[in-house]
Amino acid sequence: MNIDRRKFFKLGAVAGGTAVCSVAAPAMAREEREPDPNWFGMLNDSTRCIGCRACQSACKTENKLSAEPTIGEDKVFGRPLYDSPRELSENTYTLIKMHQDEVSKETTFVKQQCMHCADPACQSACIVGALKKKSNGAVEYDADLCMGCRYCMVACPFSVPQFEWQKAIPSIKKCTLCSETRLKKGEPTACATACPAGAITFGKRDALLKLARKRIEGEPQRYLDHIYGEKEVGGTGVLYLTKPQVQFAGLGLPDVKYHAVSGLTESIQHRIFQYFIPPIAVYSLLGGIMSYNQRRKKNAGQIGGDDEY
Amino acid sequence: MSIKAAPLHQKFMTTNFWILVFFMLSGVGFAYFRFFEGFGSVTNLNKAYPFGIWIAFDVACGVALAAGGFTTAAIVEIFGREKYHALVRPAILTAFIGYFLVGFAVFFDLGKYYNIWHALVYWNGTSVLFEVAWCVMLYLTVLGIENLPNVVEQFKGNVHLPGPLSALNGKIDWLLGKADWFCRKTMSFFVIAGVVLSFGHQSSLGTMMLIAPYKLHTLWYTPLSPLLFLTSAVSVGIPMVIFEGTLATKFFGRKPETELLGSFAKYVPLFLGTYLLLRIGDLAYRGVLAHAFDGSVQGNSFLLEFALFTVPYFMFKQKSVRKSGTKLFLCALSVICAVILNRFNVFLIGMDMGPNWNYFPSIGEFAITFAFLALGVMMYKFAVNYLPIMEEEH
Repeated sequence: MNIDRRKFFKLGAVAGGTAVCSVAAPAMAREEREPDPNWFGMLNDSTRCIGCRACQSACKTENKLSAEPTIGEDKVFGRPLYDSPRELSENTYTLIKMHQDEVSKETTFVKQQCMHCADPACQSACIVGALKKKSNGAVEYDADLCMGCRYCMVACPFSVPQFEWQKAIPSIKKCTLCSETRLKKGEPTACATACPAGAITFGKRDALLKLARKRIEGEPQRYLDHIYGEKEVGGTGVLYLTKPQVQFAGLGLPDVKYHAVSGLTESIQHRIFQYFIPPIAVYSLLGGIMSYNQRRKKNAGQIGGDDEY
Repeated sequence: MSIKAAPLHQKFMTTNFWILVFFMLSGVGFAYFRFFEGFGSVTNLNKAYPFGIWIAFDVACGVALAAGGFTTAAIVEIFGREKYHALVRPAILTAFIGYFLVGFAVFFDLGKYYNIWHALVYWNGTSVLFEVAWCVMLYLTVLGIENLPNVVEQFKGNVHLPGPLSALNGKIDWLLGKADWFCRKTMSFFVIAGVVLSFGHQSSLGTMMLIAPYKLHTLWYTPLSPLLFLTSAVSVGIPMVIFEGTLATKFFGRKPETELLGSFAKYVPLFLGTYLLLRIGDLAYRGVLAHAFDGSVQGNSFLLEFALFTVPYFMFKQKSVRKSGTKLFLCALSVICAVILNRFNVFLIGMDMGPNWNYFPSIGEFAITFAFLALGVMMYKFAVNYLPIMEEEH
């Protein structure tokens, strides 16, 4: 009897483990979401950027964002001193930064903003669906839905979403692709309009890809033969071109794979919730063990008695 | 049951009571700034570390350390080890307090805390947090129901409200009677539901950081993470029961239960062994073990975590350890520290969110965390004092 029961216990443990394993097992890649050719986006040609930051100030004007004192504090200097912000923040949706390639030492100005991914990690991560990919291509944030959990900040492979750390009721802030302010009126984004060097091109994703390829073909000595964002993290709305001697990592753009970052978590979630089979299986298994043990005890007439393992 | 559980009915306002009150009040002070002056005024959270100690410790560790509830319930009620029945009520109570504090901590950590109910209404099934939130809510409810018999047992037919409230005595007694009937009819259902929800919840916390493949260190970024979180939580269940049991006997001046706890500890190597096997197998299969020895903070942190898991695995197997109250306690503590370090590794230490940014919790974050802990201890103290949680000494 004793051996039987021990065996049974172990069997139960193994079966339970297997049931859970099937849930957590490395999931097959889920279906990739294809980028819609009609989505709007931007092409950032880093070979053309002259680092004037006109896009930065146009963005601040458009979105009514305040300037950030960046050199020292008011207390030290008696008044705030301003320079270009160092990082994206709740007051800076786009930023020009100078990057140096580690190998070639070539320096480049690069624009940073929300990439408006085709399959956004933030959208997948957001518990209430406050971040959504819109039909115009913008990844839009709904402050009224948001709970402020900041999981989107963890999820974004480009660390774009910013949080209002200084406010009592904080929201997430990030580039909107001027979706509500300008796209609705048929105008291109503020940054693209402001750029005097033609480094930022606004347009439909398909047209931008064609334009980028044309530029690469036309001047192969000027461009690296790769469009960053065409496939990265499943495709992005903002695309980048770089000089042949500068890798994209040298532009501060992370070396990412071609599939969406949310593939793994979504597959695991999907497996758990698909017809609720795993939870029901575990439930039935445990229920079976429980009733087996209760019946066994009843038969032995020893309810509440001691058991030896 | 030959032995009955009973309230302790000891003096409540002891020195320890005032120490707990002090911690809670200091937390309230900092909470003012958190809610009215913004996160920046109390926390060291920043753009690269949006999750801090409130998530890594209060939520991730809080959930893991509440595992004593479902593991004990499963072993006793489902697998029928009646011998350990005395340990079920304290374990279920602690789990309830733990989950209550997790919910409370989440409320503090949410920027728009007043939107917390959105999780109920606006669903996004692709989000791991969606599962985490639902499991917290459902399991907290189940734990509440599992704790209901304690209240019923104490007050049914024994409701004596003071003054004008005494008019309600009959009504409340009637309600308690209904609750008693409900519990008796449905308890098996809720016991199993509690275990299944725990499985889902523990594992979904392990899935959470898998959304960030380029940020989480390769030692912890594995598709097996949900299973590792679950098995490590199961492993820490019994050590938590030992830890609390030992402390409770000490602080309430009760007879040590070393024999019972030591016997209960026999199961730990089974669970810990499963976890360690999965962990080593996963690291070896992915071929990333070398990262553990590269001398980085993450590598060293992993080694410490691994040692804290492995040493008690061998210790718990020895009879001499299980017979000694102190050794038993220290081994349990080691597993608890291992799980805490593991959660910190996944949520903070192993997360590289970009250069130039660091995070170490501020005094305010610590104060609020300690306030939560103090509140938990206070709730436990209150419950065992006035409800039949612990068995009468014989």
